[in-house]
This record gives sequence, C-alpha cells and structure tokens, in this order.
Amino acid sequence: MRFGPLLAAALIVIGLAGCATRPSASDPEALAEFVANNDPLEPLNRGLYEVNNVVDAVALRPAALVYRAVIPPPIRQGVRNALGNLRGPTILMNDLLQGQMDRAGRTAARFLINSTLGLGGLVDVAAWQFGIRGHGEDFGQTLATWGLGEGPYLFLPVLGPSNPRDLLGAGVDAVASPWFWFGQGEVVEILRWVRTGMTILDAREGVLDTLDTLYATSLDPYATLRSAYRQRRNSEIRNAGEPAPDAAPGTGFGVGIGATVPPDTPPLVTR
Amino acid sequence: MKPTSIGRRAALLAGLALPALPHPAAAQMDAARAVAFIQATGNALADALNSTTLNAAQRRERVANALRQAVDIEGTGRFILGRWWRVASPAEQQEYLRLFEETLIRNHAARVGEYQGVRFTLGRSQQRTEEDVLVTTLVERAGVAAINLDWRVADVNGQPRVVDLVAEGTSLRLTQRSEYSAVVQRGGNQVSALLTAMRGQLQQMQARQ
Repeated sequence: MRFGPLLAAALIVIGLAGCATRPSASDPEALAEFVANNDPLEPLNRGLYEVNNVVDAVALRPAALVYRAVIPPPIRQGVRNALGNLRGPTILMNDLLQGQMDRAGRTAARFLINSTLGLGGLVDVAAWQFGIRGHGEDFGQTLATWGLGEGPYLFLPVLGPSNPRDLLGAGVDAVASPWFWFGQGEVVEILRWVRTGMTILDAREGVLDTLDTLYATSLDPYATLRSAYRQRRNSEIRNAGEPAPDAAPGTGFGVGIGATVPPDTPPLVTR
Repeated sequence: MKPTSIGRRAALLAGLALPALPHPAAAQMDAARAVAFIQATGNALADALNSTTLNAAQRRERVANALRQAVDIEGTGRFILGRWWRVASPAEQQEYLRLFEETLIRNHAARVGEYQGVRFTLGRSQQRTEEDVLVTTLVERAGVAAINLDWRVADVNGQPRVVDLVAEGTSLRLTQRSEYSAVVQRGGNQVSALLTAMRGQLQQMQARQ
C-alpha cells in the first residue's frame, strides 16, 4: 500500500503525542461517537490547533484584514478569479480522473475563455458572458471517489483541517500542475511565491467573517471545525448542490474550514 | 414537549385513521406541506427583516417570535445534547433546554442586520426521508455569493417544524452536537460543564448587545 510512509509517520507521531482514549465496547454510544469523530490524534491536533491560532492571530488574520481594507473589492475579485483560473488545469485533471466528462468540458472551456478573453483569468468571462459556472475539484476528492478512506483527522497550522488522503491529494495536485513544471529562473520562482502568498491571503480573507462568527459563537471551535470540515468535504466529494466556486481552494485544503464563504465567481461589473 | 390539546387531538385522529390508512398521517411530513411551511416561515422572517417601520429591537423581537414558532427547539435541543441527555439530571435537562433556547434565539436575533435584504429561492429538489423532508433553498444577498441552504422539516405534534439547517452540506445540528459533546467530555463527562460554558456565552452575548 502506498500509504506506508504516511502510516509510519503517523505511528511515530502517535507515540510522541499520545492518543485519544478509545472508549470501551461497553459504551456503544461513546464508541460510535469516537469512530464518527475519527480523531485518534486529538491531543496532537489540538496542540497544532493552538499553534495555528497563534500564527493566525499574529499574522494571517491581520494580513487578511489589511488586504480587505486596502485593496478594493473589484481588484480582490480579480485576484480571486486569476487564482481560480490557475487552478483550472488541476480541476480539469481531476474531472477527467473522476470520469466527469461534462464537468471536464466546462472546466476546459472556462480555462480557455478566461485565460484569453478574461485577461489571463482576471475576469470570469466564462460565467459572466457564457453562463459557464465554475466548480472545485482536487485529487483528494478523486481518491475519495476511487474508494480511498480519509484516514485519521489532522489539523495542521496554516493549512487547517485535513487528513492523510486530502494531504496526499494536495501534494499530487501541486506536482501534477503544469505551473510546477513550466518555466524556470528567478522570475518564475518569484511568481510561484507570489501565487502561494496570494492564495493564502485570498483564502483567509474569504473566511474572515465565517471564522470570526465561529470563534464568537462556538463553545469548542476545534470540534465545530472538525465536524464542519468533514461534512463539507463529503458534500464536495458527492458534487452535491450548485456548482462550487472554482476560485476557492479553502474548503478542500488550505486555510479553509469547510464552511461556506468564498464567493462565487460573479461578473466584475456590478449592476 | 407536553402534547398540546391540538397535538393530542391530531394524535387521536391519526389513531382513528390508522385502520384505514397504511401509514399514520400525523407522524409523517409530505413534501408539499413542508415547502408551504418553509415559504410561510421565510416570508415571515423576510417581512420582519425588511420592514422599514420597525426599529432594530422590534425587528429582533419579531425574528425571535418567528423562530420560536418555526423551530422545534426542544426536539432539536435534545438531539444536539445526544447521548448526554440521559446522563443529565432532570434539573440539568430543564436548565439545558432553557439555555439552548435563549442561545439559539439570541444568536440569530443578534445577527438580524446581516440578514437584511436576503432572498430565498426554492431549490429544484425536495428530498424525502422516513421522518422528514429536506426543503432546499438558495439564499441570495446583494454582494455575497448565493449559498445552498436546506431546511429539514419534521412533523412535531401534528405541526411542521424545522429540525435542522444544512448550509452547503453542513448540518447545523450535527456540528453543534459535536461541539457540545466535546465540551461535556473535556469537562470530565459532566453536563454541568456544558451548562457553565453556555451560561458564560450568554452573558458575553448580553454584554455585547
């Protein structure tokens, strides 16, 4: 099984951090909840969650607040559109790997239209003029549709809620992306870092209100995030609901939390 | 909830109808009724929110009333406490339900401003399960992306009531059950730990309003 190294790493981590105690079989309800939470590494995860909160409080959230305050909405929307467009090839690959030809067609059309008429992705002409709405897709979801389980829940600083399957998926998506192979030299290197930075900033800005509300209303935000992430992820894997925005990397992997925020890809022009 | 006289009458009628009907009508929810109920509730909420004659406090009160009428607060509260309901003493159960209702009402009423200018559109499909109907809606607000919001409607004592909200595939009651259970467990498996946390949260909300 290709999960060998991950499993080994997980086992080491468990040894270091200690596990959540599995309830005995005499308490079936407690056991059912433990299985449903699927968080055997909870003590470690809660530690990493605290680390994340510190990083978030001193760096990510303030940066997102400044970004929102300083950059006007149309430009932020353009950035979001462009980042989404850069994910086009990755979404297309996963549409195809899942055998979703109709969705693949839409993704390909969107990428072609927006890269050209949409000025390199800044304007979502495909949705605005052609009515082709975007959706998200990633290799974690592809693995899920192939029947691979998610593995134990993980909470990672900056990256947020995840699990071995989605983590592996994100790695594959990164390496399989044409932008990983395309070009070389200092300028390309800088552009890659700019894209990574903007992706984090955009994702964090997208969940500002949701996370603020969550921290203000939840008695245990860690547990709320864990539940919300898993539910949202499962709904994404089923491709349920209306098309999800393709510019929102936040839910599958990233700063995202599984709650709904990142705006759709509406036209830049307001009525 | 103690059955109201209407509830009892409905149950009685259902019992009488039982020999004739394969399924007791009162225990089930049909899709058309659920949709009509959600439309009525949505309109009541929208009227309260978009009213220009009411001030903020009056709007909050209207929203609170609409919520009390539309939501199965006791049933949802019990569902969310889950396996800890039986662990709780009768006094704790009462206190929990009181705190749960106040938290729910305050949480939503406090956010009245955010909901202004919302528009609900009924979704394409209404899914039906054994006990309830999932009414799908699309919620739109100016300047914000539309979200999929599904309302789970069940028959409670003969009346349609909302028992869950599902936003983009995330069920509110499941998420909240996970949250509350975590608080109980981290408080040494004591329901009192949750009650203390809920009281603290309510005080904070009151201080902010």
